[in-house]
Amino acid sequence: MGGASEAVARVSERPDVVTHEGAPAASAPARSAAAGWKVLPIVEGLVLITALLLPLVLQDYLTVFATRVVILALFAISFDLVWGYAGIMSFGQALFFGAAGYGVALLARDLGVTSILLILPAGALIGLTAALLLGGFLLLGRYPSSVIFVSLGTLTGSYAADRLARGWYYLGGQNGIPSIPSLSLGSIDISEGPVYYYLALGILVVVYLLCRFLVRSQFGLALAGLRENEQRIAFFGYKAQHLKAIIFAIGGTIAGLAGSLYAFHEGFVWPNMLGVVFSTQVVLYVLFGGSGTLIGAVIGTVIIEGVSFWLSDNYRDVWPIILGVLLLLVIMFRPLGLISFVLGERERVGSFGKAPKETPNAAP
Amino acid sequence: MATSFAAAFEIVSFGAIIVLVVLGLGIIASMMGIFNFAQGEFVLLGAYVTYLASAHGVPIWAGMIAAPFVVGALGFVLEALIIRRFYAAPIVAMLGTYALGLIIRESVRGLIGGFYLTVPEPIGGSIDLGSIHISAWRFTIIVITLLVMAACYLLLARTSFGLRVRATLENPALARASGISTPLIYGATFAFGAALAGLAGALIVPVFSLFADLGIRFLIQGFVAVMVGGVGSFIGPVAGAGLIGTLSAALPWVMSPVVADVLVFVLAIAFIKFRPQGLIAGRGV
Repeated sequence: MGGASEAVARVSERPDVVTHEGAPAASAPARSAAAGWKVLPIVEGLVLITALLLPLVLQDYLTVFATRVVILALFAISFDLVWGYAGIMSFGQALFFGAAGYGVALLARDLGVTSILLILPAGALIGLTAALLLGGFLLLGRYPSSVIFVSLGTLTGSYAADRLARGWYYLGGQNGIPSIPSLSLGSIDISEGPVYYYLALGILVVVYLLCRFLVRSQFGLALAGLRENEQRIAFFGYKAQHLKAIIFAIGGTIAGLAGSLYAFHEGFVWPNMLGVVFSTQVVLYVLFGGSGTLIGAVIGTVIIEGVSFWLSDNYRDVWPIILGVLLLLVIMFRPLGLISFVLGERERVGSFGKAPKETPNAAP
Repeated sequence: MATSFAAAFEIVSFGAIIVLVVLGLGIIASMMGIFNFAQGEFVLLGAYVTYLASAHGVPIWAGMIAAPFVVGALGFVLEALIIRRFYAAPIVAMLGTYALGLIIRESVRGLIGGFYLTVPEPIGGSIDLGSIHISAWRFTIIVITLLVMAACYLLLARTSFGLRVRATLENPALARASGISTPLIYGATFAFGAALAGLAGALIVPVFSLFADLGIRFLIQGFVAVMVGGVGSFIGPVAGAGLIGTLSAALPWVMSPVVADVLVFVLAIAFIKFRPQGLIAGRGV
């Protein structure tokens, strides 16, 4: 977090802001500095327009693939919230994704529930519950948990769930649960294709906007502080552990939503969905695209899945190696991901909240 | 009597394997503060070197001796080129070493395909004690594990190299001021940890056979063992590994294997939550 002057400058990017002490004079240079076109809305708009037009130009089997990417992008956003914004390394995000997938698959198999009005809330609820339990256990407590403990704890949770699903006959063992019926709304079946695509895209857009609001709110500011310097946030009087548990639960909810969509889209669930494979996959998406920007998570997912789909015919064996090399290069030389090629640091950090309650005069 | 002895041998032998795998991981985590996600792939590389030796007609034991040197040398190079950049940020180090592990694992997968390749045991047959037969190779692994543990302990506790390593761990600035080349020490420590992983891979490949995900199988167990034992000392991770390995091998004898598998992890995480410093707290050897 910057000093007081920077905070004023950020706030005054908004024309409607009225600051108290001599605001016009103080913010005039800042405003001119902040003027000029913004990259982020342009990138977001371009991505949205492309996504909206995509099914019109794609063949059917590619639309099915694009739907999968959209759902995975939703999953990537859930991880980005937790890691990119709050600095909690959740190496087991797939636990929530897969648990919701398995949960709704069981609902469909054993109880015959396929209504979208029940399935999506159920998936989100499973994700939320799992995240509350695991996050509450790992993050809360008398002593703050170390970053290492949280990351290894989530990783272990995901791995253990994977092993459990593999060995449990009720969950289908190695094969998972096959042939899930399609999602329905009343008497209409929502099967894969353009309809499912727009459904997933609609959910993605809504979740994206909600998250965008969330990370730009005062809560988001506290999260950013948490990521940069947890101790200082604690000294400011925030309950750092509670903030972490809340964002972890929100991330779990979104991952659960994505998992239930994914299960019905693919028509089956299998143990990898819970385990280390998906958990690390989502880390790759977000790091590659750019953690700490929501659109970076989406772009990373699209690029990695897109290239992997494109290469899968000829270079299936080499692709994971290339992916590893690219990831290593990004971590070493572009820690903010691909999005940082077009997005400036200032815009990535952005501004928070509505009008300031009072001019920040806390010492830097 | 015979069954319980066989079970006990099985448990001890698996515990020894976990200790062997965790040794390198623990040394790197304790002495350098890095949780090396590529450690599993160093194990895999050690196994692969041994396999290559046996496939080309070189005696297997020669491959097993070569494996730690090859993997250690690779570790030294990787430390100098890549790992060195990550010391300040433990999470970034995890991600970076994960990427490194991904590269190694997928390269090996490309080389061997999706197969399970068997490597014969250099010491075959079994040791007969009356009516009880125990695998000679597994027994050898236990012996070698004990020897390696003792050697590591002596190296860290009794030699001047060990003293420098510990000095670098305790206070890098003071160590540098005293004329110790800390980058070199870090490089050597990482190479040593990698070499131990290579040795572990070489020794266990006859038992588990060679496949690309061999390393992953042990990585998470290894991390949990290090955390349970306590980061910061040499003895801590070893004790943790002994405990986790023994539990993982012993619990399936008394309950369903699936439950046992998960229970070990749950118990371990709960233990770490309430005793973050681990079984053996404190720094030193």
